[in-house]
Amino acid sequence: MDKEHKGVDSLLLSDLVEVWETNSLTLRTIEHLTMFSIAIVLASIIGIFLGLFLYSRPKIAHPTLNLLNLVETIPDIPLLVLLLPIFGLGSGPTIVASVLYSLLPITRNTYTGLKEVDLKYVDIARAMGLSEKDILFKVRIPLSLPMIVGGLRIALVFTMGVVTLGGLIAAGGLGAALIAGIQLYKINTILVAGLWTGLLAVIFDGLAGIVEKRLQRRYGIW
Amino acid sequence: MASKRLFDRIDSIQLRGVTKKYDDRFAINDVSIDIEGGELVIFIGPSGSGKTTTLRMINRLIEPDSGTILINDQNIMELEPVALRRNIGYVIQSIGLFPHMTIAENIGLVAKLEGWNEKKIKDRVEYLLDFVSLPSDMFMDRYPHQLSGGQQQRVGLARALVMDPPLLLMDEPFGALDPILRKQLQEEFYQIREKLGKTIIFVTHDIEEAFKLGDRIAIMDDAKLVQIGTAEELIFHPANEMVASIVDTSKKFKHLDTLKIKDLISPLECMYVHDGSLDIESAISSMIGKNIEIAVVSNGSFPLGIVKLIDLLRMDDKESKIIDHVVKIPSFSRNKLLSSSLKIMQKDGHSMAFVMTDGKLSGFLFPNDAFSQVIG
Repeated sequence: MDKEHKGVDSLLLSDLVEVWETNSLTLRTIEHLTMFSIAIVLASIIGIFLGLFLYSRPKIAHPTLNLLNLVETIPDIPLLVLLLPIFGLGSGPTIVASVLYSLLPITRNTYTGLKEVDLKYVDIARAMGLSEKDILFKVRIPLSLPMIVGGLRIALVFTMGVVTLGGLIAAGGLGAALIAGIQLYKINTILVAGLWTGLLAVIFDGLAGIVEKRLQRRYGIW
Repeated sequence: MASKRLFDRIDSIQLRGVTKKYDDRFAINDVSIDIEGGELVIFIGPSGSGKTTTLRMINRLIEPDSGTILINDQNIMELEPVALRRNIGYVIQSIGLFPHMTIAENIGLVAKLEGWNEKKIKDRVEYLLDFVSLPSDMFMDRYPHQLSGGQQQRVGLARALVMDPPLLLMDEPFGALDPILRKQLQEEFYQIREKLGKTIIFVTHDIEEAFKLGDRIAIMDDAKLVQIGTAEELIFHPANEMVASIVDTSKKFKHLDTLKIKDLISPLECMYVHDGSLDIESAISSMIGKNIEIAVVSNGSFPLGIVKLIDLLRMDDKESKIIDHVVKIPSFSRNKLLSSSLKIMQKDGHSMAFVMTDGKLSGFLFPNDAFSQVIG
């Protein structure tokens, strides 16, 4: 390629394509998003059920949330290292760590959302002849959806970060490309992989934000 | 899951020595009362007197510490609470329409839980919206926040009626509405009550509302039932000083002769005024936006009369100007004597009038409102 005859734009573009291809960033992105999705789905299922469970057992709610809070305070790299003996290298411990971090915001928001539904709705629902189960499914859960999605949104950002760190422990994903770039000191690789990861995080957060706003407008406080 | 129809009609409701304590304080202290089927009984009293607690015991939202409550001679503690509540309509001041459900979903919720099919629910919702004077095609798919306070309260009533309960419990249903709207809804409620043919237990703190709507009035004070009777009985034979002070109008009525309109004016807010050249469509959206049910139609600066939102919603020709649908009402100078103005209004059957100051509209006169201010 005769670079001297090309403009700055195409120079950047060709560099971008080169970095993208040598680091197989398409594959890395797929790996990244696979881990990300698995972690988010698992964390949502466990977190929402745990939130529902804590709501039905208020006595253990505080100790459980405190425990999750404790997990939250462990820095991410030590947590990954702690998980290595149990789950080995790769995507296993990365997903587990992501789930552990995401549990607190999802569980806490589900629990708080259910608990803090405006009592006037619960009261009128009861007076209309809804059973406690109907009240939970027809009133409490729908009215706490904006809060639950708010927790999910925080979890999305955490998970994006932890999945990226998974590159350190051979989990693949965009973190692997980033670390390769750092180790070989290839500025272009670091920039492309870093910006791309950041962009993905911003996009997911933005999408979740839109869903949250919609739900707030429809289900929440007017 | 369909629940049992517990009673098709109410023959009697009896409270026998009902008592409820919170810590050491009595919420209700040994209350006994007999209510006949088809009656509208109003509970009135200062806040904390136990009127709402009494109401909420009848559908078991609160359970008594001692005493029994019988509906048609059945002890309600032996009935399943969910089934009992589906046989009793409940309307409260804060309305509590579920914000995540449309109007149709709100009204049809219990019917759906009872396993009615879609068609039957839809028919019932349409019938009920029509019953409370809201055009169903316009309101079914809206969300509660898109409705004015008065419209929400109508939906609240429709929702309470969905299972056609023979008994209605109403806890200050008009309490949160502004005075103009409150008068109008009381008026409408008074009219539809006949059609409803239900036993109604109603809580209020507004003695005028009690006199206007109630067959009998139960006066509560300090967790006890002090007296129950018709308005006449309470006025002419009050059981004690407290009842006399609640219902006693004699002292203040003496001053009525000297009162002038300006003493009882409800001031005009400019949001009520709409220009006559406005078409119905825009008038409706303006009124819903401002949460008002009555608009003053003006011709530049001069008021011509009023239009009601409810009437506008029913007009077929939404293009026509509101000036063509104006209802004329009397107007009086603010210095005129109240008594003579009221006589004129009574003669022609008007429920409101304009009050003019120096040839300009400055407020409204509502006879009912005026009375409640005089005796309140």
